Amino acid sequence: MSNVITAKNLSLSYGLEEEVIKDATFIIKKGDFVFITGPSGSGKSTLLKSFYGNLQPKEGSLVIGGLDMIDIKKSKLQELRTHLGIVFQDYKLINEWTVEKNVVLPLWISGYSTEVQSTQARRLLHHVKLSGKEDKYPMELSGGEQQRVGVARALAKNPFLILADEPTGNLDEYSSNVIWDLMENACQQLDTTVVVVTHKIPMVFNIAYRHFTIDERGSVYEVH
Amino acid sequence: MKFIKRHISLIFPLVAILLGLEFFIVFDRTTDTYEKSLSSDYSIMIVAKDEMSIDDFKALDKHILGVKELPKPQALKNIYLEKSKNVNKAIPNFYEIKLDNLLGIKALEEVQKNLSESKSIKRIETFHSTYKSQYELFTFIKFSFGTFIFFMAIIGFFLIVKQMEVWNFMHAQRMKVMEIFGASLFLRSKVLINMAVLDAVISSILTSAMFVSLQKMWISDTQMEILKEHVSDVFLFSDFFILLFASIVVVLIAVFLVVINVKEE
Repeated sequence: MSNVITAKNLSLSYGLEEEVIKDATFIIKKGDFVFITGPSGSGKSTLLKSFYGNLQPKEGSLVIGGLDMIDIKKSKLQELRTHLGIVFQDYKLINEWTVEKNVVLPLWISGYSTEVQSTQARRLLHHVKLSGKEDKYPMELSGGEQQRVGVARALAKNPFLILADEPTGNLDEYSSNVIWDLMENACQQLDTTVVVVTHKIPMVFNIAYRHFTIDERGSVYEVH
Repeated sequence: MKFIKRHISLIFPLVAILLGLEFFIVFDRTTDTYEKSLSSDYSIMIVAKDEMSIDDFKALDKHILGVKELPKPQALKNIYLEKSKNVNKAIPNFYEIKLDNLLGIKALEEVQKNLSESKSIKRIETFHSTYKSQYELFTFIKFSFGTFIFFMAIIGFFLIVKQMEVWNFMHAQRMKVMEIFGASLFLRSKVLINMAVLDAVISSILTSAMFVSLQKMWISDTQMEILKEHVSDVFLFSDFFILLFASIVVVLIAVFLVVINVKEE
């Protein structure tokens, strides 16, 4: 199995502030489902941000999908991001766009034809049980539905890596279970690597997963 | 209604800037011609005891463009002719001097001073007071108009800055999300560019239309010579392209500043 994320003695910080993540070394392989947990402010989201190039490593090395993230060129980073699926706690949907347009955003960015976009949107919305809501706007949907749109968008281009930052943080139990099911399916059926930052690992989880935790000092450990 | 609201907020300041620009172009064009006609109508009278050539005058002051010798008054000539030929020599020479442009009051005084340095020149008549009132009125109109145009441009500029803040508020979320998913700078700003360019075109058409109607309706009937004589110069077809170019440059700079200031969270 190939390595999707390789971190070696990785340290992360915001500007000149104290390091949030210290000396982290780990490898995440293709098809892995990884939970990253830890107390508030431990640096879970910071670590995830570095995976999609929102934060540059301060020390050590970080390789994502074969690309060295240190001083990565803007064009390379843009290219990498078009192959990632990212899910946020606050959904980050574009409110003035319809559900369908939101879902096909990664395809639109990559220049796919409108026919491909439309077919893929229908398929994905059916997959996340939102058929018939193509023309709705995000604000017309419930939180759980908005997050399902977010997951559909993340899956739109069959990414090699899905990064999710507290994807169920704002959702009730039923909606959370739907999101976990979608993530499991993506990992199991598409062999996509999934990295999820969460406060709490779901009680019922049907596939094998790895669990990393970050302590208050910013050290990353693999629990199992 | 939402469409109109969204566009009018940029069209309004753009039209203000374009009006300022077009007023400047038209005013510059019109006053330039008027200034030339004022300058060509003006001349200095010189009375000199010796005959003087254009080179003699040019050597005295660089602003002297041309000289015309005036015929000596006939009556005066007859009297002197009757007396003696020697006396005839004593009849002074009269010259009318043209200047190269409409000089300021101080520059005109300088010309007068330079001419008076010549021992041949007995008398210089600059028609100072008439020239002064004409020149001062002209410069006052020019200054007032310049100030008006300047303030219009300033107001337009601040309205555009305000509009940039509105854009930032309206489009930042979309641009941030698009950046996360790998959209290029062009794709992120495409919506804004399309909207801004459309507004630039509309503003240029509106401003041109205003000037065309001004030219056709008001100026043709006006009694103001400065405008009436140059009515065709008020709005030229090429002005539309100048306005379009200027408005597109302004909106693209504004869009670019908004886009580069949207930082990923």
